[in-house]
Amino acid sequence: MRIKVAIAIAGAGLLLSAVPARAHHAFTAEFDAKKPLKLRGTITRVEWINPHSWIHIDVKNPDGTVTNWMVEGGSPNALLRRGVAKETLKAGMEVLVDGYQSKDGSNRANGRDITFADGRKLFVGSSGTEAPDERPEK
Amino acid sequence: MRDRRQLWVAASLAVSVLGQAPTKAWTPPKTPDGQPDLSGYWTNITLTPLQRPANLADKPFFTPAEAAAYEKETVERNNADRRDPGTDADVGKAYNDFWWDRGTKVVSTLRTSLIVDPPDGKVPALTQEALRRRTEGRGAAQGHAYDGPENRPLSERCILWATAGPPMMPSFYNNNYQIVQGPGYAIIVVEMIHDARVIPLDGSPHPPKDVRLWLGDPRGHWDGNTLVVETTNFTDKTGFQGSSKDMRLVERFTRTAPDTIMYQFTVDDPSSFAKPWTAEIPMHQTAGPLIEYACHEGNYAMSGVLSGARADEKKAAQGGK
Repeated sequence: MRIKVAIAIAGAGLLLSAVPARAHHAFTAEFDAKKPLKLRGTITRVEWINPHSWIHIDVKNPDGTVTNWMVEGGSPNALLRRGVAKETLKAGMEVLVDGYQSKDGSNRANGRDITFADGRKLFVGSSGTEAPDERPEK
Repeated sequence: MRDRRQLWVAASLAVSVLGQAPTKAWTPPKTPDGQPDLSGYWTNITLTPLQRPANLADKPFFTPAEAAAYEKETVERNNADRRDPGTDADVGKAYNDFWWDRGTKVVSTLRTSLIVDPPDGKVPALTQEALRRRTEGRGAAQGHAYDGPENRPLSERCILWATAGPPMMPSFYNNNYQIVQGPGYAIIVVEMIHDARVIPLDGSPHPPKDVRLWLGDPRGHWDGNTLVVETTNFTDKTGFQGSSKDMRLVERFTRTAPDTIMYQFTVDDPSSFAKPWTAEIPMHQTAGPLIEYACHEGNYAMSGVLSGARADEKKAAQGGK
């Protein structure tokens, strides 16, 4: 499992220009930076669909009710090639999702980090910023 | 791997010194109808950028040790958690290679940029006309970027991916291609967005200039063991690094080893660039099959982006931020 790695400068003195994250869509148009959230819940299903996967989780609210949230993740094509398969994320698993809620207030979020019950962390990321140089060319 | 790299460097340096291709000890196999065989699954995944970073200005090639250091640093940076809490940037910023597929290696030639000509590894200056086009395009989009699905970028609409080509550039995932050959045709299936380029090899001409196609009109021929594909008739809805619909793109595919196709492309578009420019990307054999990128069908993001914009508008109308 991946762990956080500090930005390191290589000994050879090779400084690089930033590699922009370019993704399928503008994430910041969809999700609200002012609505960060942490969701602890149980995976009910995973939609392994392109261009982005969606992880559905049941989250127990303080009043005892349960809300189903859907969390956006990476492309299944990339996930598969990076070794993430259906067994990695499946119904019944308990996860903690760190992300942002959608701007329209629906129960959708982007998945920034996913932490499993045993503490292992699965980074989740699915889009770039909206900076002009990080947008796909038209 | 390193041995192969060193050979590549030696060969590339020989080319630059002598100005001619090195003698090829290896001859590619032929298809049943006698074409050099390019068929199979290939990937152009690489960490090497299109343009040479400023700090490598005088360094067209890495040494193997420098390449390893660059790879290590780039992979680490791609995986770093770049938090910027509470900002819009933060929403999109933290993503790392676990959910991407950007590779871990620089190109096997050890070049520091994919661009090989001009020698500085940079896209030549844009012409005044190209700059004007860009300004006008941005002006037209101003304030209307979220009006409706048609206003969103082609990639977000699952129509075309800017780097999927032509020319075919590595991107963040789906860097996979299948080449199929038959008498009179070569077909390149591009995993990203799921395009198939059908390239006639029969010497037929491009269609008239008023025929404009999303992927342009490709026509191919063999130059020895190299497949040369000339593509014209692009639309004004696409662009590559500032190119126009009048770009003439020449791609060259040469199988240089059982597991390698050297892919070169030259962008010739006097209305956009001060001079033609050329990039080179080794493509390596990879395991098939391609995975269907059924982008439109699952594109929940489109409704999410548009409803997000409506929510923002509503909030603004109510006087809130």
